[in-house]
This record gives sequence, C-alpha cells and structure tokens, in this order.
Amino acid sequence: MNDAYLVPRPERDRRPIRFVAFGLAAILVFGLLTSRLAYLQLSNGPEYAAQAEANRTADVAVPAPRGLIYDRAGRPLVTNIATFAVRITPADLPFSRREDVSRRLGGLLGMEASDIITTLDGAPGSRFDPVRIAQDVPEDVARVVAESSNELPGVKVAVETRREYPDGPLLAHILGYTGPIDGATLGRLADRGYLADDMIGKAGVEATFESALRGTYGLELVERDATGRDVQVLQTTQDSVPGASLTLTIDRTVQKEATAALKWGMKAAGLKRGVFIVMNPQTGEVLALVSLPSYDNNLFAKGISNKDFQALLANKNKPLTNHAVQAHYPPGSTYKLVAGTGALQDRKITAETKIRTKPYLLLGSTRFYDWNRRGFGACNLNCGFGHSSDTYFFQLAGMLGADRLAYWGKIYGFGKPTGIDLPGEAAGIVPSNQWKINALGQPMFAGEVYQSGIGQGYDVVTPIQLVNAFAALANGGKLYRPQLVREIVGPDGTVVQSFKPDLIRKLPVSARTLRSMRLAARSTVVLRHTYNLVDMPVKVAGKSGTAEFGKRDSKGRLPFHSWFVGFVPKNPYKADFAKANSELVFLAFAYDSRTKGNAATEIAKAFLQNHFHIKKDYLNRDLLRRGNFYQSN
Amino acid sequence: MRVMRAEPGRFADVTSRSVGAAWRSYDLQLTTYAALLGAIGLVMAYTNSVEAGQSVLAGGTVFTRALMWSALAMVVFVAVTVFDYHWFKTLAWPIYGINVALLLLTLAIGDGVGGSARWVEIGPFTFQFSELAKILMMIVLATYLGNREGRLDSLPSILGACLLMAPPLLLVMMQPDLGTSLVLASILAGMLFMSGASLRWLLAMAAGVLAAIPLAWTYVLRDYQKDRILSFLNPAADAQGSGWQVIQSQIAVGSGGPFGTGLTNGTQSRGEFLPVQESDFVFAVLAQELGFIGALVVFVLFAALLWRILACAWRSRDPFGTLFGAGLATMVLIQVFVNVGMVIGILPVTGIPLPFITHGGASLVSLAIGLGIVQSVNIRQHRAEW
Repeated sequence: MNDAYLVPRPERDRRPIRFVAFGLAAILVFGLLTSRLAYLQLSNGPEYAAQAEANRTADVAVPAPRGLIYDRAGRPLVTNIATFAVRITPADLPFSRREDVSRRLGGLLGMEASDIITTLDGAPGSRFDPVRIAQDVPEDVARVVAESSNELPGVKVAVETRREYPDGPLLAHILGYTGPIDGATLGRLADRGYLADDMIGKAGVEATFESALRGTYGLELVERDATGRDVQVLQTTQDSVPGASLTLTIDRTVQKEATAALKWGMKAAGLKRGVFIVMNPQTGEVLALVSLPSYDNNLFAKGISNKDFQALLANKNKPLTNHAVQAHYPPGSTYKLVAGTGALQDRKITAETKIRTKPYLLLGSTRFYDWNRRGFGACNLNCGFGHSSDTYFFQLAGMLGADRLAYWGKIYGFGKPTGIDLPGEAAGIVPSNQWKINALGQPMFAGEVYQSGIGQGYDVVTPIQLVNAFAALANGGKLYRPQLVREIVGPDGTVVQSFKPDLIRKLPVSARTLRSMRLAARSTVVLRHTYNLVDMPVKVAGKSGTAEFGKRDSKGRLPFHSWFVGFVPKNPYKADFAKANSELVFLAFAYDSRTKGNAATEIAKAFLQNHFHIKKDYLNRDLLRRGNFYQSN
Repeated sequence: MRVMRAEPGRFADVTSRSVGAAWRSYDLQLTTYAALLGAIGLVMAYTNSVEAGQSVLAGGTVFTRALMWSALAMVVFVAVTVFDYHWFKTLAWPIYGINVALLLLTLAIGDGVGGSARWVEIGPFTFQFSELAKILMMIVLATYLGNREGRLDSLPSILGACLLMAPPLLLVMMQPDLGTSLVLASILAGMLFMSGASLRWLLAMAAGVLAAIPLAWTYVLRDYQKDRILSFLNPAADAQGSGWQVIQSQIAVGSGGPFGTGLTNGTQSRGEFLPVQESDFVFAVLAQELGFIGALVVFVLFAALLWRILACAWRSRDPFGTLFGAGLATMVLIQVFVNVGMVIGILPVTGIPLPFITHGGASLVSLAIGLGIVQSVNIRQHRAEW
C-alpha cells in the first residue's frame, strides 16, 4: 500500500474528445473576443476616439457681466457685486448621504435641510449640472463650506455676481429682479446659451430687457476629468460680451416724491394699497411709477428663502403685484372723459349745450341717482364735468349708446394693454354689446350703459391706461405707448437704442373737442369740486373719481376707491389749458379708501407740494378720515 | 480512506523526491507565458500609477504594490513547484476545512464596498480569500474526482462534487460576490466535463441551472446586480448611472484603434472616466493604450498558456494532475472571457479579475499556486523511470 505510487501507473483512460471540445471552446471564446475587439477598435475606432475626445473636453460658458440700469439723470439703480454661492452637483452627492449633507450644510448656511432637498429635486438641469443652493453666502461661512469638502461631498463654493438694488422697494416694481432660471424657461432658452444654474430677469425691466442686459456669454474649451473637475482651459472659443446698460425714463427724485406723497396719504387714511404715476404726456415717458405695498427686490437677488417668499405670496395686499400695471379697477368718474369726448365728437352735444341734471333719472321703475341728490340744474359741459354730475353723464351715455361709448373708450386705449415695458400688464375691460353677449349672453341694458358712462359698469381699467388716456388729452390727442427706457447703451458706450416716442394712435378727435375737455377738466378744479386744489400756486386740471366696488355693508353702503388724474401746463403757474403743452400728467389711486373726502386728490396735492417745493401746506387731513362717507364723485 | 493510497511514506521522502524530481519535464513554455502575462500586468499597474507630480515608486501606489505582489507570487510559484503535489492530495480534507473557515472569516470580519464583505485586512494588505478558494477547491475536487476514477460517469460522483462545491459557493455568494461564485461553478462544470462525467447528467444539471435563473432573479440577486445586467442589455437607458461603466469602457477600447494611444496616454483612464481602472476594467486601459495589436498579444499569450496547461493535464498520469489542470484552464478561460467580455460590452458587469493583469494580490498568488501545482505534477510524472 505504502509503495503503491511507485509502481508505474497504467495508461489512463483519458477522453481526447473532451480536450478537443475544450480547445474548441477556447478558440470560440478568443475568436468572439477578437472579432468584437476588431469591431470596436478597427471598424469604429475613429468614432470612439472622437467620443473619448468629447469626454475629455467641454465647452464651458463664461458668463458676461450683466448690464447696469440708471435713472434718467444717470444715477445708478443697480450694481453687480461679487458674492459667494454654494452649489451642489447632484451626481457627486451619494443619495444615501443627501439627508446628512443637507442637514450639515443647512446648519452652516442657516437654512432648512428640507429647503435644500427641495431645491435639489426641483433643479432643471441634469445630475451633472451644479445646483445653486445659496447665494450671497458670507465669506467666513463660504470658507468653512469650502474646507469641509470631505464631509460635504458634491458641495462647492463658487464666486458669482449678483444684483444689488440700492433703493430696494422704491423701484422694485420697475426694476424687478433676477433669479435662478426655472426648468420650463431653460427648456425654451437652452439653445440661446442659458445654463442650468443661470440667472435670468424675472420681473420688471430686468425681465423685459433681459436680452439686452444679459450680454453674450463667452465660450471656453476646457479639459475635464470624469468628476467634472476642470483640469485646464484649452482655448477661449468666444469672448464674452458684457450686457448693455439701460437708462430709464424714471427720475429717481420724482419717484421718491411720488412715493413719499402716496405713503403719507395711505398712512393718514389707513389705506393698504395705492398707486401713483407721473408721466410726460408729450413723449409717453414714465417719470415715476409707484405701487404700494412694494417689496425688497434684494431679497430675490440674494436668493429668497421659501419662508419669505410664502409670506409675500400670502400678503393679501399683493406686494408682488404691480397695481399700476398688473391689476385693473373700476375707474369711476375719471371715465367721464370718455363719454364727454365721445358726445362732443359725435356731435350729440356742444360744450355749451345745457342738459337738465336731476336728482335721478328714471328708467322703467329704476331710479339712477346723481351723487348729489338735488342735481345741479341745467348744466353745460364745464358744469357737468366740473361738478361730476352723474345724471349729466347718464344722459351723454344714453345718447351715445353702448357701442359708441365703448368705441371712444377703446380710442383712449382702454381694454387693451398699453404696451409699457413691464411684464404681465392687464388689459382691462371696455363693455360693448358684443362684449356682453360674449361674456354674459345678452346685450347691454340701458341702465348698464348709464353706469358705463360714469365708469361704474363693467368697465375696469389699469392705472397706467387711465393716466395715459389723460396724457393724450393733455398733449392734444396723441396716444403714446408709455415707456420706461430712454436709452440702451452698449458696453463700449455706443447708444444701441435711443428714445423715440411711440405713437399708438392719433385720436380721431378734433383739437376743439380736446380743448373743451381740457377746459372742462380745469373747471373741476375751479368749481372747487376738489376743494382747495385751485388755491395752489400750481395750476391743475383733472378729474377725480370715486369707484364703488365689492359688497355692501350692513347699511347698504359700498366700499370705494378714490382716483385723481390731473395735468399741469408747460408753465405750471399759468392756467393756460387751451394749449396742449402739458409736460406733467399724474395719477393717484387709493384702493378701498372709504374716506370722508377724495383721498387720491389729497395724495396728488401732497405730490405737487413735494414736486414743486410748495412751502404752504394745502393738505386737508380732515378729508382723509375713514368712515365710508359717500362723498363727491 | 482512499486518499491514503497516494500518501508519501515519511516526511523525509518529500525533500528527497522533490530534489529528485524530473526537472526535464518542467514546462518552461508554461512559465514563460505566465511570466509575460505577469509582466504586462506590471506594465498596466505602472501606467495606472502615473500621475502628475507623483513618483510611481512612491509607497502605496498601484505599481509598488504590484511589484511586491509579483515578487511574492514568484516565491510562491517556486515553492509550490518544488513541493510534492501528492501532499495536497493527502491534505485535501484539511484544505477543504481551511477554505470554508477562511470564507466564514471573510463573512464575519471582511470589508467591501457598500456593506459587502469581500476582503480581509492583514496588516497593511487586503486579501480576498475567495480568490484562493478557487485554487483550493480545484485541489479538493481533483482529489475527490481522481479517487473516483472509473466511476466518474455515475450520478453519485457528480452529486458528490456538487455537494463539495456547494458550501464555499454559497459562502461566496453571501459576501455577495456573484462573479466569483460564477467562476467557482464554472470550475466545477469544467472539471466534471474534463473528468469524463456523463454528458447526460451534465446537461440535465445545466438545464436545472437555467430553470433556476428566474428564481435567482427574484430571490438571490441584489438590486445593484440586476441594474448591472439591465444596463448591460441597454446601457443607453441610464448612461450617466449604471450604464456609465459599460459605455465609457467601450469608448476607451474603441478609441484605442489598431495601435493604441501609447502607454500612460489613455485619456479615458487619465480623466478617470473609467471606474476601477486598475482592477476590473484594466483591460479597457490596455486596449486604449496598446490598441488592437496589444490586446491581440494578450489574447495570444492567454491562448498559449491555456494550451500548455491543457497539455500538462493531458500528459499527467495521475488523474489529479489532469483534473487540476482542467480546473485551472477553465478558470483562466472563463475569467478572461467574462472580464474582457464585460469590458468590450458583450457581457454584463461582474467583478471578475483578468488573470495576471488585473491588479490584486490574491488573484496573482492564487494563480502562482495553481501554476506551481501544474509544474509540480509535470516534474513528478516520470519518477518511476528514474
């Protein structure tokens, strides 16, 4: 047994066929591998080589400095400042560590971890596009984040510029703000060089003049490794071109005067919303455009927190809405401009035609009361417009009829956006028979035509439409598009686009008719319908309005807005309203005023005192007492 | 016990016999091909270690570790060659026990990526005992089947071999290391086939395995393993995720063209587009940097090596030698096929090393043991004539 292995073994019964089979299998395997290798390397080699090259290099956009914005006097309204931003590249952040990293990073940045996760999930780009988590990170925090890269995989600190708006709420509704691009917009603009983590103008002129302000991003060919780290810049394919600058028509000083006046009136009367607009009627340039409440656009420029944003959205006075442009309201008696102009031009009346004004008009069994329950007797245009007699204008509206009234409304630019350089402009409504058939299935009733004549029917207007209509009256019949930008100046200082008045239409109204209407507007002031406005050294013509809206209270009274639209002659101290040379038209709007007097008129007076440096105080604080008094129209 | 038949009489015999072994039967070609493949492995370790501003000889680089493991492998190879392989037959059962114990140890204290337990740290080194398990199981199976010569086409022989393989295979699968368990199963199949086991039973078993695939998909495979298979079937579906490796490695291979980009010039590896480029995807780097010609040289060397192993197996008068050679050849062939197939995109991604070339100490040392045993068998065939 022990020596068994020493004995030569007999030839074993081997299976040659199995060896051959194994050999064949090996040949098959190597044949298969070789042919696949030949396919990849010999047939498709160049193609794969190109892919490997594409892998290695990437075209990287070089952001261009965004253009600046100045007011008409050249005062800077926005600056670009360099800040630290924290970004996460989702592909570099293991899913299992998201919670942990978000919590840690949130702690450093003072953010909610859930906000970080939400931002990551909502990011528009691919997993390899960095997502901006926080902007405007203080330098010391940025340093800590940058140094904690081991605990914070995928988190990077980048230097980027952001917008700073020194005046904040003063100009927020005009300038708007920039913010991170959203997925839908990126999808639309990706082929125009927008990046997944790009900033884009989101409101105001930042949005409407985005393409001018943005400039042209440059392009660099960069060598990269698989983790997306830039190894080196191989070449600059295209130099970036800084964005063009805007010079606005806005005068920051006038904007401040208007804001101060509106704030004063709103505070005195306890109001929640208000609008003040100042324009040059000769050109359509907007000098001031105030919508209160406003918001601080720097919050958005810095990257607004979800909490702050929700608070702004939840505020029922809608600070994010530009009430001058994006909202429409019943115009009240200011709309008598339309019926007056129409009746004169359609030769239903002349300025001297006397119409008997009554306490009320009877239509069937319905009484349509004048605001003055005694009436004003026989009235010509100056009397009817000046006292704002409702029964006078009921009768003018009746003479014109629904469609003719609507026609003149549209002629003045109502019912259609004015085309001002701001996003989201509302259109308003001018009710005609066709409009009512479309909206409610039947034509206008006679009573509705009456109501429409005094701006209390279905009519709604935006403040910018209303002030623009009066601008056309003040300049002798030219309806201009309101404009906010005087000049676009290229980065090299050349003027790319200079200001040109943009005529919407020449009103089909005779100079005589317009002159009569201007004089009627002056009589509003002269007849002391607007109390002591006539006593001011500055000569004003205009129209006040009280527009009821909403639901009646327990005593059957409706809440109401106050309007005042006015203009002053070229020489503001000489009451020459026969000429159409006014260079200043303004509008005051007090939302839900319910004051004893017309709050808007007081606000307008406050503005005139600020603007013309009038030392004497003409303000009637008594008229601003709240109380839902149904006062004059 | 049947094993005892082949046991050397006294310990002193071992030395005398090894000294007296027939060195003219030593297969120099086999050693040459293996050495050349090992050298290519070192070259790849070198090219993978080149990084700007760092010496490839600095401690801890892939290259220095590869040098060290190569030296160790050479020592192991010589030692095993000199060692009389009959002792392996004698010690087959203890070896089997040690093998299972090492795999249990790996499961208990091993580390790995993402909660797996694949390697054990020994001092500064890590060692993957599942690599060693392949060689140890070849010894055990060659001994077992060799002792049953003449009865190999019976079902009990086949079932016995399967039962022997089952515990280590399951232990490896639990790590979880699907690739290595696949290799273990292939080794079993290859050895049974070469032993002359009944084709009927083998086919029946193969059918059974195929039938079990749906069950395995549902109950055994982890999600990442399913991902790999799915992304192999359609890499573009998740090009940035699990399809990434498949696509990137094909780009690497394809961009090599006929002559390659030259050593250390592979952009795919320099830019770290290839994950695990020094281990499982090393062939992609090789194909990019050395091109079709370089890859072909590697294939030729592998084919030559297989030829020599099979020749040695054929020559062996001891069924142990034949069976062990069959197991080793099967292992090399299946690993080359699965690894290269994965790199060039005809097989799903599995963590199977390319013999000699994939950097990894356990794989290299295990190969050294296997080749050493083949040579040990070679030089001890003609002892009787001596």
